[in-house]
Amino acid sequence: MLDQKMRILIVDDFSTMRRIIRNLLKEAGYSNVDEADDGATALPKLKSEKFDFIISDWNMPLMSGLDLLKAVRADAGLKGIPFLMVTAEAVQENIIQAAQAGVSSYIVKPFTAATLKEKIDKIIDKLGGR
Amino acid sequence: MAEDIAPKDEMDDIVHDFIVETTEILDGLDQRFVELEKTPESRELLNAIFRSVHTIKGAAGFLGFRQVVDVAHTAEGVLNRLRQATLTVTPSIMDALLKAVDMLKLLLSHVKAKDGKEEDISVIMALLNEAQTNQPSTTANQTASTALEPRSAAESKAEAKTANQPSLTANQPSSTASQPSSTVKEDAETIRVDIKRLDSVLNMVGELVLGKNRLARLGALLEERYGEDDLVGDLMETASHLNLITTDLHLAVMKTRMQPIGKVFGRFPRMVRDLARERGKEITLVLNGEETEVDKTVIEEIGDPLVHLVRNAVDHGIDTPEERASAGKLRAGTLTLSAYHKGNNIFISIEDDGRGMNTGRIREKALEKGVASKEELDRMSEREILNFIFLPGFSTASVVTNVSGRGVGMDVVKTNITKLNGSIEIDTVLGRGTVITLRLPLTLAIIQAIIVRVHGEAYALPLASVVEIIRISESEIQTVEGREVIYSRGTVYPLRRLANLLNAAGGAGERSYAVLITLGEKTVALLVDELLGREEMVIKSTGEYLSDMNMKGVSGATITGDGGVVFILDVIGLFTGMKGAPA
Repeated sequence: MLDQKMRILIVDDFSTMRRIIRNLLKEAGYSNVDEADDGATALPKLKSEKFDFIISDWNMPLMSGLDLLKAVRADAGLKGIPFLMVTAEAVQENIIQAAQAGVSSYIVKPFTAATLKEKIDKIIDKLGGR
Repeated sequence: MAEDIAPKDEMDDIVHDFIVETTEILDGLDQRFVELEKTPESRELLNAIFRSVHTIKGAAGFLGFRQVVDVAHTAEGVLNRLRQATLTVTPSIMDALLKAVDMLKLLLSHVKAKDGKEEDISVIMALLNEAQTNQPSTTANQTASTALEPRSAAESKAEAKTANQPSLTANQPSSTASQPSSTVKEDAETIRVDIKRLDSVLNMVGELVLGKNRLARLGALLEERYGEDDLVGDLMETASHLNLITTDLHLAVMKTRMQPIGKVFGRFPRMVRDLARERGKEITLVLNGEETEVDKTVIEEIGDPLVHLVRNAVDHGIDTPEERASAGKLRAGTLTLSAYHKGNNIFISIEDDGRGMNTGRIREKALEKGVASKEELDRMSEREILNFIFLPGFSTASVVTNVSGRGVGMDVVKTNITKLNGSIEIDTVLGRGTVITLRLPLTLAIIQAIIVRVHGEAYALPLASVVEIIRISESEIQTVEGREVIYSRGTVYPLRRLANLLNAAGGAGERSYAVLITLGEKTVALLVDELLGREEMVIKSTGEYLSDMNMKGVSGATITGDGGVVFILDVIGLFTGMKGAPA
């Protein structure tokens, strides 16, 4: 699979944030992007369409990023999708929670396109190397 | 960093989105905070508030709005401790948080104005930090928090950022964070459209309505002349179909411009809370019908008058807890704001169970100010006397506070409501309370009107203010105390001749029509020569030239079905601009 063609789902309840991430992804070379405004809307989308990568916010009203992550990992069809968690603070306890739930990596707001690309590349590399 | 995330154009768009979205969040926050003060134990509410502030902080970080990030971050620290119950909701903490919201609004206004200005945020930061440290010892018995108390208190004496870092780690139970699904409204699929586009669509629909009217008129003429021709029948059928579709289209377009009145009501919980605290009153605010939808223009124009009426109710209407107690009322007064639809109007009422208005005082004041003589006052009904408060400079407030009672206000409220083609009514019982009811049309751009003729000139009267039309002859007009009146079904109505009001020459014909018009709580008969019919009209402003001439009594113009230009009369302006107007 060619990295740049990868279909990415951005999950965030704040549309400005989704737009910012979408732009950063574009700058990093990824333009095949779709959005969901909550974990609860992301899940059916993930099940009905094909996505190669998930970038999700942690804090969302209906279904948090962590719960989405758990649901994805528990789903046979989705569990292999790389999951990048966006958090506001690098709080250790959160990171441990996310790691235990099977997060691929996390990224702390605010971040630049370069950092984002680096994170994505690392995740993809790890996958390829497995 | 702000430049890193997107090209310039895109960046402007993102900032614009950020402003719109953040403004919505902040407006909602005021209300949620006031709710929180009432139900401080509501975890769902706290989580929702925390998340809102957190969201703003996250996006602001990307956009490089450092001060927004700082304030949001520190407020978030306080909220997080409330969430973990290591801090309890007190009025002073609420004050600090509400001030933080105010500061965020102010900072956002700088973002919006692109003035690059910074604010002195040290005061609010100190206030927020203090809110975290100066927790009274009553919280010590909070379950599970006792262990945390000394530690976080000690740490928060240090710098703000480090102070709330540990509490963030303390427990961020994902289960509670994701619970409040029930309170959060499901977002329907929506699309943001620039209001200018909607305005231009509405304008085009207006033109379409004019074209439709013209077509209907031409069709009717053709039918008269060539009624036997099948083609004319087909044309009429098509025209009537077009008529239906145009009406539906108009409704549909109007709906896109409708917004819930809750948008305006949303600011009141906070305002009433602050005012009540300031004035030492206890007030329960009840909001009804927040989902009632009104045209955007009405939403924009109704805000200031409502703020004034609510301020008045808090300041003069609701009595102090002591006064209330001695009058045998509950210490806390109730202020109820309601909105509902009835016919083609929306009604908004502001009801308080306070002191009520003293018509005696208003009478005295009217005498003192010389706006009416004792004889005139004696003849007036309660209602008419109450209407004096709408006169410029008329205020009965004995104490001039910084809230209201400065003699400006009610007249401005009245003017604004009238401008919207609405009316205002007061019901009051001394010692029991006051209800002020505003009636506003649902839409402003297109109205139903009847067309009348006076001395060969056609004029339009908004149907909303017309009660009844009576056919009368000159001989039925009687004179009482030098004023012309007519009798209809046992009621006497003062009569005004439209021709005189418009300074048109000539006398009335043998047979005329009296159009009964409501002016607030009064009904007046307007004498016209002829009735031409009823039509859906698109109000066009009269343009600079004519508005410069300051034509009282004319609110706009329109093009009728026969292609003629007709002035739309502003009934209230028409009467208030005249001598001997019904006061």
